[in-house]
Amino acid sequence: MSFHAIVIGGGVDALVASHLLARRGKQVLAVEERAPAAREFGWAPAKVVAELGLALAVEAPDPWVTAILQDGGTLELWRDVGRTSESIRRFSERDARRWPDFCRRMAVLARLFERLYLETPADPLNLRFALRVRGLGREGMVDLMRLLPMPVAELLDDWFECDALKGALGAMGIVNIRQGPRSGGTAFRLLHHHVGSPEGVFRPPHTNISAVLRARPAVHFKRAEIAKIVVKEGRVGGVVLGDGEAIEAATVISAIDPRRTLLELADPAWLDAELARAIAKIRRRGVAARIYFDTPIKSSTVYAPSLDYLERAYDEVKHGRVSERPYLEAHPTPQGTEVRFQYVPHEANANADLAAAARRLLPGLENAKLASILGPADLEREEGWPEGQPYHAELALDQALWMRPLPELARYRTPIEGLWLCGPATHPGGGIAGAAGYNCAQAILRETN
Amino acid sequence: MRRYDAAIVGGGHNGLVCAAYLARAGKRVVVLERRDRVGGAAMSEEVFPGFRFSVFSYVVSLLRPEIIRELGLPRHGLHILPLESTLTPLHEGGKAGDYLAQWNDHDQNRRELMRHSRRDAEAYDEFGVELHQMARLIKPILAMAPPDPTSLHPRELLDLGRLARMFANIEKKKFNALWRLLTMSSADYLDAWFESTALKATKSASGIIGTMLGPRSPGTAYVLLHHYMGELDGVFRAWGFAKGGNGSVSEAIAAAARSFGAEIRTSAPVQEILVERGRAKAVVLEGGEELRAGIVVSGADPRRTFLGLVGEKHLPGEFAESIRKFKFRGASAKVNLALGELPDFTCLPGRGPHLRGAISISPSIAYLERAYDDAKYGEISRRPYMDIVIPSMLDPAMAPPGKHVMSIFVQYAPYNLNGGWTDSRREALGDAVIDTLAGYAPNIKSAILHRQVVTPADIERVVGLSEGNIFQGELSLQQMFFLRPAPAWARYRTPISGLWQCGSGTHPGGGVMGASGRNAAFAILGGRA
Repeated sequence: MSFHAIVIGGGVDALVASHLLARRGKQVLAVEERAPAAREFGWAPAKVVAELGLALAVEAPDPWVTAILQDGGTLELWRDVGRTSESIRRFSERDARRWPDFCRRMAVLARLFERLYLETPADPLNLRFALRVRGLGREGMVDLMRLLPMPVAELLDDWFECDALKGALGAMGIVNIRQGPRSGGTAFRLLHHHVGSPEGVFRPPHTNISAVLRARPAVHFKRAEIAKIVVKEGRVGGVVLGDGEAIEAATVISAIDPRRTLLELADPAWLDAELARAIAKIRRRGVAARIYFDTPIKSSTVYAPSLDYLERAYDEVKHGRVSERPYLEAHPTPQGTEVRFQYVPHEANANADLAAAARRLLPGLENAKLASILGPADLEREEGWPEGQPYHAELALDQALWMRPLPELARYRTPIEGLWLCGPATHPGGGIAGAAGYNCAQAILRETN
Repeated sequence: MRRYDAAIVGGGHNGLVCAAYLARAGKRVVVLERRDRVGGAAMSEEVFPGFRFSVFSYVVSLLRPEIIRELGLPRHGLHILPLESTLTPLHEGGKAGDYLAQWNDHDQNRRELMRHSRRDAEAYDEFGVELHQMARLIKPILAMAPPDPTSLHPRELLDLGRLARMFANIEKKKFNALWRLLTMSSADYLDAWFESTALKATKSASGIIGTMLGPRSPGTAYVLLHHYMGELDGVFRAWGFAKGGNGSVSEAIAAAARSFGAEIRTSAPVQEILVERGRAKAVVLEGGEELRAGIVVSGADPRRTFLGLVGEKHLPGEFAESIRKFKFRGASAKVNLALGELPDFTCLPGRGPHLRGAISISPSIAYLERAYDDAKYGEISRRPYMDIVIPSMLDPAMAPPGKHVMSIFVQYAPYNLNGGWTDSRREALGDAVIDTLAGYAPNIKSAILHRQVVTPADIERVVGLSEGNIFQGELSLQQMFFLRPAPAWARYRTPISGLWQCGSGTHPGGGVMGASGRNAAFAILGGRA
């Protein structure tokens, strides 16, 4: 059997790209190194859903987060802006008044990014981009310019006084990055994780998009390790699997991280030396461990009582240590509870102490039965996340948009003809389910039709 | 009562530069300085008998060459002595050879880098080229009044178009490199270039100067570039020391301004900028004297100017809000020492040429981060970062024969210290500095004749810089270019007609650069810089 295209790596972007190509009559083989996630983290863009005719189950917990306070109390942030204001009012009248305006202004910016994220990224020196930004109006433009480079702590301090509120929101600026809330560029990450959500909700949902796509027959699936991407005379020829089987195709799309794709699976000799060096320097440090308990927790919960608390947790990883007082995030899953423990430096090993911290700090898990703990190294092995980084490349301003993961690779194309990248390391990055696969498939179809 | 075309509030270097350009254009200008001497933070003072210090700012590099040329500053006494090297000792009590030195001489520098890493010695030239290119890209922007991207005014659109064209002509690769510098941390940026921890540490130090950020925080790569933008006699990145101290820079500019007919009044503290019906009419001095002027130009920082001298009631609400949000967070202090003998560094013993250059106490990036960790929770760095020069080595007139003055720039000393600054906390800072330094140069304690410690609170009180921020406001991306000091008001104008700003709280910001003063003068005169 011969294929037009081989998509490697699994994951939601690989699935979206596969199905979009299959719909245009391509014979597509998706080679998965591991089983797809039953629950996918990230906004599934309406455009992707519509184009593929998907009927998704989107988890929309309400409250979307419950923040644990240091004194044991809680702050609930609801999907309804007004109801959240009421919730905040117990702590600060002023913050409660400001909440709706904050939500509105962040939503204006998020709407811009929703559009930018479903396109091949253009560098900002283009007229269309300039006009769009001007379309935000004066207030929106000023908000955008100020917000992008800001530390999330500074943004939240400008708006609010309630520590618990600032901690819960600030956490979305630092998830999956080796930075603290006082580091520049983290406000952009809060915005990134807001994109696609309704006004007032600052966390991407979980959906079953991967499971739905995986169940469709239009694409051929194969579970195998990838050993090699075959390149002949600067052109991709197919892949070789772990068992030595060679499969030919004129197009190979990789949702695996770019460093492994281009420097390990393909022969780096095909790359310009400077580009190869730059690929080797893409930052992708994992910072979190996952802890699984058999006992279910009631609702999505975070332990991030203040911005200072988060910053101190970061101080430790900065010097290579596991946070003694970590940022914790717990979500109910069909099997029990999944806890994200941040920060664990990618160079450290996970150990049972992590579970003890979760039991101590998260109400409802005091006596929970531990199922497993995966540190960054385990996550690399189990999930294919390089250095344990689920976004494959850290989402920082110098590795975002038209710079993601590198300017030379940002248009999904690689210097090897027929070899393409999608996956969370490409624009728009992790937390957006399928947009990179969508953009990549569009770029390929534009080229081949 | 005399009437002036322009009254300039504050006789710091930017106020003086602005006055000189306005006077040169034939305007009747008066500069009003609160203290008994001009210079603001760029001033020299005989703090101890026979010992002269650049009490606050202490080196020159960023002063724009066009200002030196156009105002003929050398004619008015400006004489810059180059600093030849930077010595970074690598360990407390380190043995001889335990250092990284950087020399202005290319070959000497290369040989020294080879001692640490052959690869870095190779990469260093390439690194120099990239920063040089970036500084050249930024250079025309320094002399520009930033247009307002949100405006529909034809003149703003015209300038925006001009800016866009300028960027469109930049090679993509260079634009991306610039974006990286604007958004990265200096640690990540340097990690991409070098492997030697010593080299990365000493380079990253210039990314934290004047900022309440550590080298691992994004935004510091730009500060690194900002300190690379200096140009002395056509040599980028050259740092120098003004003969007579940094006060000579201000005095030369003041002399130039006077030669064009500007009047400069010292001990003339401005109490209020008088606004009537939305227009600046006059300035009122403490004591009640009122000076009417066609326009008022403030060289004071934005907070002091708008919330202090003008008063919020005259300001549009949104603008006042922006000024209130403008971040200062001073983090730098100075320790000035009168020395009976030269310091003797264990890593490079004796009286060598390295004492004629800068000495940087920045042994590793982790060291700088730890210094920052203390400060971000409101404490003095237990082991601070220091940039040290010994001006008397270059200009013997700064100290009595055989004796020396040492200037130590210190970070971090947070303005918002837990419990506030007191005399004992000031001395504690001085002790932390001396104890740290003694780890590298053990004879320092016995060499000290006198010690002056200048905290951010002192800088605020004496010079008038809010929160002691040496740049009149943090040089972070969200406070730069068309956002400095407030959106839509970055072109030296203010919402009050007849009131202009010319301090480093405006584009392009701090360092003894003078660009704000010059750009403001050109904006006022209606021409282009």
